[in-house]
Amino acid sequence: MENVHKQARASTVKAKKLSEKKKDMISGYLYVAPFFIVFGIIGLYPAIFSIVLAFQKWNGLGEMEFVGMNNFAIVLQDPLFWKSLYNTVLMGLMGTAPQLIVGIILAYFLNMAVIRFTNFFRVTIFMPYITSMVAVALVFGVFFSSNESALANYVIGWFGFDPVSWKTSEWGAKIAISLMVFWRWVGYNTIIYLAGLQSIPKDLYEAATIDGANKVQQFFHITIPLLKPFIVLTVFMSTVGALQLFAEPTVFLGSSAFSRDEAMTVVMYLYRDAFNLGSFGTASATAVLLLIIIVGAAALNTWLTSGAGSKKRGVKS
Amino acid sequence: MNFRKGLLAVLLLSLSAFLFACSGGEDSASGEGQKDKEITLDFWVFGATNYEALAKEYEKENPNVKINVKTSELGDHHNSLFTAISAGTGAPDLAMIEVDQLDRYREAQDRFVNLYDLGAEEVQDQYLDWKWNGAENGEGDFLFGLPTDIGPKAMYYHTDVFENASLPTDPDKVSEVISTPDEFKDAAKKVLDETGQPMVDSMEMAFRAHMDALEDSYFNRDGELLIGNGESGVKEAYDFAVDLDSEGYVGNFEMWTPEWANALNKGGFAVEMAPAWLKGYMTENAPEGKGKWRVTTLPEQFAGNWGGSYVAIPAETEHEKAAYEFSKWLLSPENQLKSFVESGLFPSAPSVYEMEEFKNNSDEYFGGQNTAKYFAEAAKQIPEVYKGPKYVTVNNEILTALRNVQEGGDPEKEWEAAVKRIEDLMKR
Repeated sequence: MENVHKQARASTVKAKKLSEKKKDMISGYLYVAPFFIVFGIIGLYPAIFSIVLAFQKWNGLGEMEFVGMNNFAIVLQDPLFWKSLYNTVLMGLMGTAPQLIVGIILAYFLNMAVIRFTNFFRVTIFMPYITSMVAVALVFGVFFSSNESALANYVIGWFGFDPVSWKTSEWGAKIAISLMVFWRWVGYNTIIYLAGLQSIPKDLYEAATIDGANKVQQFFHITIPLLKPFIVLTVFMSTVGALQLFAEPTVFLGSSAFSRDEAMTVVMYLYRDAFNLGSFGTASATAVLLLIIIVGAAALNTWLTSGAGSKKRGVKS
Repeated sequence: MNFRKGLLAVLLLSLSAFLFACSGGEDSASGEGQKDKEITLDFWVFGATNYEALAKEYEKENPNVKINVKTSELGDHHNSLFTAISAGTGAPDLAMIEVDQLDRYREAQDRFVNLYDLGAEEVQDQYLDWKWNGAENGEGDFLFGLPTDIGPKAMYYHTDVFENASLPTDPDKVSEVISTPDEFKDAAKKVLDETGQPMVDSMEMAFRAHMDALEDSYFNRDGELLIGNGESGVKEAYDFAVDLDSEGYVGNFEMWTPEWANALNKGGFAVEMAPAWLKGYMTENAPEGKGKWRVTTLPEQFAGNWGGSYVAIPAETEHEKAAYEFSKWLLSPENQLKSFVESGLFPSAPSVYEMEEFKNNSDEYFGGQNTAKYFAEAAKQIPEVYKGPKYVTVNNEILTALRNVQEGGDPEKEWEAAVKRIEDLMKR
């Protein structure tokens, strides 16, 4: 008991003589605390609870019942889950792969000194990204409606194609949604690449020009290798984003979003489980599976891209 | 050591912030029965109602009660309510619950106030029996809510189409000519032969014809699935829709789509089997149909209810008595008449059907016809149905099958596939 008192007194004495370093440390923690408190309540806690839920059978109201791996078994045996995974991967490839390539090319042109009004173009190209997603999806929904008179059908009619029912056909829905994703995110990636390009020292290009390298060679041997960290970043972000595709298809398809499977993504599948079918266990199990898939895909992609261009150690990156 | 203390400080801070966040918004309990105290009631409603105006009226009569009415869309409303009830916090003092949604809450009976404990028997005889019983639990000793409106189905028919098909156009004659499902099919044949138009707008409506009239549809009251073992009438309803479709009597106008609204406007199909609440939509969205549509009673086999709600009191409330008093007043026959006249909410209190204002109600949109009479007649024929907690989910699978049949799928195969999907869903 006495010891405790002594300790307490000792610590109060200590507390009075806080060193500057400690004060800095405490204030530092206080400054970052708000974020971590909010994140803990609305980010971390639900995430952990979701993992717990993955092993329970729960409809949101009654008692939870532990079912072990049964939820995973149900989801993995559901053909619709595999269909939604297939859709997600396909739309991810169609929507993001061209985006990254086009993004680099656009950034390259925007970075050229010969083009005027670059600021105007930079703002314009970034516009889609800051436009409200719901508005975008609604407008695209009108362009790509299933009517024969829809704008998209009118345009492909010039090339002699038959009208496509964009919302109910297997490929029509995927193409329309991929286009929407492409249109929305290409500017975002362009801006990141642009920042990357501007960080490349000019003298490297000057030296290459003196050595007789043409523009194309310069692009592949200087620009791309030095952009690598940025490419790794965008590939990583795009992979994670593409696998979590949800809002675009949901708004685009409107009322039939959860009753058809042409464009159902994994997140839509788990949303439907939880909020339409009242089955929170299988929805959480799907979320855990998605987490594993995302970690796997992101790791693989990052490994692939960081390996790209490392064969030639010509430039120190 | 230093690091630990810092971490501890952060943890304590976050904990206190968390507790603070949780304790917010709870006002101190005010005792029931202290009539001099100001009471605030939160009331969540959905759709188009006149409850806000009625609440204002109630506040005038009871100066110590304040009512906050929050109106949302049907989907959002039920999602917020489900979340609040599930979390056990944040629910209002009173909430509307749509009839298809009510069964979800049956197993969470303890989250609601039993209105029988507050003496709801006193008003039981004011309401239609089937509607009242729909809000009871299986044993009949617990009442979830008081009845708001109902959705008795009647037959809307387009007079031009009927005339061209040499069918009568007078409401009473039409109900004589079309008084059984077979006669309905005969009329459909005439319509198709003479005008080339479909009788009904979509597979869903063709299916609902028998479906809404079933006392047992997908589940029995013990929650067992009936659909797989041929014990329910769903298959007959399904077959009826498939049959109509094979004859070419079913159009391809999915409800609420622009194409459907257009067909409603122009008379692209002959008949819509729907409740009174469709009137409001037609008046707004089908102006060219004005004067062209009439309403009559459906064949008895098709008499069913579609839609309507209850007002329930979540158990979290601190003013259950005040909430009950308000809902009793709000849903009294006199006020149901007001809700009908102003918002088209069809009364669940049969005494309203005898009131002068209700009887003399004439509908300009329907060429001055008194449509209320036909809905009131339909309201008395409605069977007591049990839907079950997963009704909406299961029903969607059958509708998917019907859509596939319309697009050329094999009816039996589609049925089998839908049953299998439903059985899989039940395991979740």
